Amino acid sequence: MSDFIDSSPVLSGYSVSLRPVIESDLEQLRVWRNDPQVSQYMLSQDIISAEQQLAWFKKIQRDPSQLHFIIEYKQQPIGSANIKARGIGKTLQQADVIEPGLYIALEQYRNNIVAFAPTLLLNDYCFEQLRCQCLRAIVKPDNQAALHYNQKLGYKIITNGELIEIELNFDDYQAHTQGLKALLSRSANRDKSNRTAR
Amino acid sequence: MTNNSHILYQTFSDSLAIPLDKVTDDLAYNTIPEWDSTAHMILIAEIENQFNIMLDTDDIIDMSSVAVAKSILAKYDVQF
Repeated sequence: MSDFIDSSPVLSGYSVSLRPVIESDLEQLRVWRNDPQVSQYMLSQDIISAEQQLAWFKKIQRDPSQLHFIIEYKQQPIGSANIKARGIGKTLQQADVIEPGLYIALEQYRNNIVAFAPTLLLNDYCFEQLRCQCLRAIVKPDNQAALHYNQKLGYKIITNGELIEIELNFDDYQAHTQGLKALLSRSANRDKSNRTAR
Repeated sequence: MTNNSHILYQTFSDSLAIPLDKVTDDLAYNTIPEWDSTAHMILIAEIENQFNIMLDTDDIIDMSSVAVAKSILAKYDVQF
């Protein structure tokens, strides 16, 4: 296996794709991020200006400790995902611990099984390509949906206080997601001729 | 109610472990604790078994309510 890791990967699988954020995405991202439905579960609810958004984009472009993606389903942007290296000065390739983040911006896909797809893609990338030891995330205690969602993926609570810290290792991830991965990986063009409806 | 409607409602009831009278066309994914991702996988397997079909991933994703399940199953020649 090559040691080369693409610094701007496009990830595809489980019926979705994740592509790196580009400058023309910024206004859409800003609208999503400022939507109270999305921002209520973020650590900060400050309204983000266009200038702040551009400054953020310029910063992340030259920061090897994080990657930010647009989630696409059926060629339509539906949300955003990111990964950040934990540990001072560590790049994503060097980090033992990576913090993923994600939101589904389009309401029709929030309460949908497809919301698991970008996370499966990101987690596979972190464990199998970046070779991190574990994933760690922070969840606000009032975000029970996110807690429940992450526990379905195998996360365990490691700190339960004003904020809840959760962690996922590769073995727990594999054990919890086998069925979900199989379900979201079926070919759309499979020959169904050998099975007929009643 | 057609026979296939009855089979579908019973499949939802069994897979989600909820009473049959809680299964209506409006019942939707993640609106009750019983219909979460794990139950969705069980539900898909049971629907496939009951109607002898194999659903595509897009249909598995789109199957977000009982009403939508009926319209998706119609594509697989299951009549309601």
